[in-house]
Amino acid sequence: MRVDERKSVKNNTVIIYTTPTCTYCKMAKDFFKAQGVSYSERDVVSDLEARRVMIDKSGQMGVPVIEVNGEIVVGFNKEKLSTLLGLA
Amino acid sequence: MESYDVVIIGTGAAGLSAALYAGRYRMKTLAIGKEFGGETATAGVIHNYPGVMDVDGYDLMKIMREQACGVGSEVIDGEVTEVRRDGGCFIISANGKEYSASTIIFALGTKRRHLGLPNEKELTARGVHYCITCDGPLYTGKTIAVVGGGDASVKGVNLAGEYAEKIYLIVADTSLNAEPINLQQIEKLGDKVEILFETKVEEIVGNGKLEHLVLSKPLNGSTDLVVDGLFVEIGALPNVDLPKSLGVSLDSRGYIASDTMMKTNVEGVFAAGDTVNLFGRFKQDVTAVAMGAVAATSSYEYVKANGNVCIIHQRVAE
Repeated sequence: MRVDERKSVKNNTVIIYTTPTCTYCKMAKDFFKAQGVSYSERDVVSDLEARRVMIDKSGQMGVPVIEVNGEIVVGFNKEKLSTLLGLA
Repeated sequence: MESYDVVIIGTGAAGLSAALYAGRYRMKTLAIGKEFGGETATAGVIHNYPGVMDVDGYDLMKIMREQACGVGSEVIDGEVTEVRRDGGCFIISANGKEYSASTIIFALGTKRRHLGLPNEKELTARGVHYCITCDGPLYTGKTIAVVGGGDASVKGVNLAGEYAEKIYLIVADTSLNAEPINLQQIEKLGDKVEILFETKVEEIVGNGKLEHLVLSKPLNGSTDLVVDGLFVEIGALPNVDLPKSLGVSLDSRGYIASDTMMKTNVEGVFAAGDTVNLFGRFKQDVTAVAMGAVAATSSYEYVKANGNVCIIHQRVAE
């Protein structure tokens, strides 16, 4: 990875909305870890406010919902996430 | 173009088992999968994989990948868009690249069946779901319906029993076809679960959000059933487009036809996992990994007997 790419990864704000048993959420988190991307996790089962925010922002009730710098991605779409994170 | 002894298409239980065995046969091996872990990864907790105590399906798949990579096999994510013959070789297109292989193992798994009702697509993730382990917990304290009479739907009900207030299990047949231990667990949920036998979902009603279902048979005097969520677990269809494009024969049920050594009708092409109907409706991790191991063995024997098939072809051409 070049230095400028490393910087762009570090500067991203990533929030992932999850449920404890969701496999695609685990895949997404594994992907972030492998790419060195920091993220905040919101468990929408235990955190009702996070659930409301997720539904408001994504207009649906499937997880994961991933917010990258304000942009919403529904599901674990590695290609789209890579583009948004400057990894592609 | 990178060349392999075997390219395995699919990285679920069958594909990763094949990758492990092929690696141990010291074959140059590549496994490519569109969705890592296949059906097992989203199955939730696996209680019946011998030698491993209760384990999350995704974690089990990660262990299998680690095992396969540990013996030198490559495992990558990617969608294979084409497989074609080039003389005695196979050319595989994926991720904008091409790979060549002496043998192919199709471990493509299945895709989940949908109900095929109007509104189903529009209301997906807006009340209609296909992954109860993923989205089930969002219905904590709510009323849901699960449609399907197989083991997956029963396991789904058992999982949802931890969260939902009321669960209707809608079954087209007169009985459930699930592991007895899972049926025992459903009984423990008591009145929380109501099983509607010989009943189908005929309509999914909602505007932007699921509002209610219309059933084929009335319940408490009405065919309208108000639920917050609907989970569809009505089985799966085998992924056979790529094998068909290569001339691989299918059986009468549309699965890849193979013998007990996982050989298809096409020389150098083998198959494994849920895309094969070798064990009938009994589709488990233990059957998938067994088929993967056998397919790798057949692939190894084929490569050993034929050497580099591409060179043989060139010699014939000379």
